[in-house]
Amino acid sequence: MQKYISEQNLNALLDKLIAEGKRVVAPRLNAGTPLYEPLASAAELVIDRLPRRSGKEAFFPLCEDIMSYEKEGQRVELQDIDPVRFPETVLVGVRPCDAAAIPVLDTVFSWDYKDEFFLERRRKTTIIGLACTQADDACFCSAVGLSPGDPKGADLFLTPLEGGGYACEAFSEKGETLVGAHHELFAEPNGAKALPLAEPQTDAFDLKKVKQWLDEHFEDPSWDTIATRCVGCGACAFVCPACHCFDIVDEGTEKKGKRRKNWDACGFWKFTHHASGHNPRDQQPKRYRNRIMHKFKYYDDKFGQTLCTGCGRCIRLCPVGIDIAAILQQVEAKVE
Amino acid sequence: MTQAIDTSLYAAVTDAIRNEASRILSDGTVSAVIGYTAARRRGSAQPIVVSRIEDAAKLIFTPACVNNLAVYLTKAKKEVPKAGRIGVVVKGCDLKALVGLMGESQLTRERLYLIGVPCVGVLASVVQPDTELTSESIAPKCRECDAHLPAGCDYVPAQKPVTPELEKKYAAEIARLEALTPAERWSYWKEQSSKCIKCYACRQVCPFCFCEQCLCDRNKPQMVESTPRPAGNVAWHIVRAMHLAGRCAGCAECERVCPMDIPLNLLNRKMAKELKELFDHEAGFEVNEKGPLATFTEKDDQSFIK
Repeated sequence: MQKYISEQNLNALLDKLIAEGKRVVAPRLNAGTPLYEPLASAAELVIDRLPRRSGKEAFFPLCEDIMSYEKEGQRVELQDIDPVRFPETVLVGVRPCDAAAIPVLDTVFSWDYKDEFFLERRRKTTIIGLACTQADDACFCSAVGLSPGDPKGADLFLTPLEGGGYACEAFSEKGETLVGAHHELFAEPNGAKALPLAEPQTDAFDLKKVKQWLDEHFEDPSWDTIATRCVGCGACAFVCPACHCFDIVDEGTEKKGKRRKNWDACGFWKFTHHASGHNPRDQQPKRYRNRIMHKFKYYDDKFGQTLCTGCGRCIRLCPVGIDIAAILQQVEAKVE
Repeated sequence: MTQAIDTSLYAAVTDAIRNEASRILSDGTVSAVIGYTAARRRGSAQPIVVSRIEDAAKLIFTPACVNNLAVYLTKAKKEVPKAGRIGVVVKGCDLKALVGLMGESQLTRERLYLIGVPCVGVLASVVQPDTELTSESIAPKCRECDAHLPAGCDYVPAQKPVTPELEKKYAAEIARLEALTPAERWSYWKEQSSKCIKCYACRQVCPFCFCEQCLCDRNKPQMVESTPRPAGNVAWHIVRAMHLAGRCAGCAECERVCPMDIPLNLLNRKMAKELKELFDHEAGFEVNEKGPLATFTEKDDQSFIK
């Protein structure tokens, strides 16, 4: 059911949610950089810029404690983290490329092992998506089957209207509950036209063709030309809405410390470094190949989905100009 | 007021680089040339390793040629061919890094064929690659560049760069930070480093971060917290600044590539300033076999010993 919400009422909604004790995560400026972070008030909301990192960290934080330990003499005490304590959250202003990645992550975090840290946050979060009206030439959501107006992954979806305010539509029970609980801030549609959606310029990929080539070319000399220039940092994976590899480390002293889960990246040399000293991905092109294979072959083989939503962040931020869309174009062109 | 910067010489520089690369590949002077090539996005450029003569025509030089290609010559980056002599396209700022690496026995001059670029500047990191080069869009390091025409190269195109006088930003920002109280300064760096996500892009693009294993990757025992939390973040950036003191040649690649906009070059410029004051040393002008922090002389300042 379509509703209308003015910008003023959207702010009022966020302030009300904050006052109710909910964690409201939305784009704000952190020392000048736009990031999805908890707001202290709606005045901090900066909705017109794509945050530098994706929305995934509302469920899959950059780093979180998963256990603490204390040891004295023969006594060892372990303390679990209680996921029940995670706060009710509303994630606001999520672009379609970020929102669409969330159901993709649901699949992997609830597969053979149920990751309660991810899933409990996910259960407690309502996602307010936002249609995109601006794209640059790194954006390619429409080339991987999404669109700047696609509500996939959102519980409630906002579309900016001519003359201000948003058309608002619920796509899940969570979304309807949120509107119902604050119905006084929502009005009937006012008939205003939606602002034109962004138009990403990249032609759609034939992802079946891409996968076909990947299926047959684990070993191929073109991996070297594709990835020789990769310097092996984790920037692409860390800004990606769909990358989800993590590491688990114990930090502290012998007597007291925490076990922590933090993001990892396949570009890193030590990502596959075995305790034996052997590293099966001993050269950078092999690591980059893994990134492409994981996104467009392995994840598809396992879960029938593509692990890329075309946000373009990795393209904008790669220190050496590696452009995943250009690589997909090259790969696609190799298939008859 | 935004000043336009004349980049018209880059077309002729591009032609000259292509011709020279083609010549040195054909006569066997080099086995490969590391340079820049155009990429998919409008106006964008990316590093390329050219080893076939016909690929020399792919080389370009534009304001989007931002990388310091010296990083591909250090021993930590193993994928670039090391056989024979290697040609490399260098801006003046990048050349300083190569000079430093020669001083640290990572490279020898005989193994390199330097194609120097007459340069009026390149783009800052956060702008679209097709942005016009102006006093606003230019990379911060180019505002205080003293090496528009690299010295001591094997080949430099004939074009003469004409650059406008631009307001310096690093010097002003360092002065602003120096004027703060230690507590204020600490809080500034804590806030900046809180954004760090430990992607290590700063380390991976740095020509001087060539250790086979970084201290910060060690886990037996762990020397620095590897998780992106306040303590480990601050430690990481301080460790890196200290390791680069007297070595950093100011290419500002660390700052350019930081996805979180941490002003890392400020730390490095501040250390360079300290080294200049204490040891009258500047990195990157001549090949020095011993840096100021790797030697001792009786003239060294000892006032800090209480």
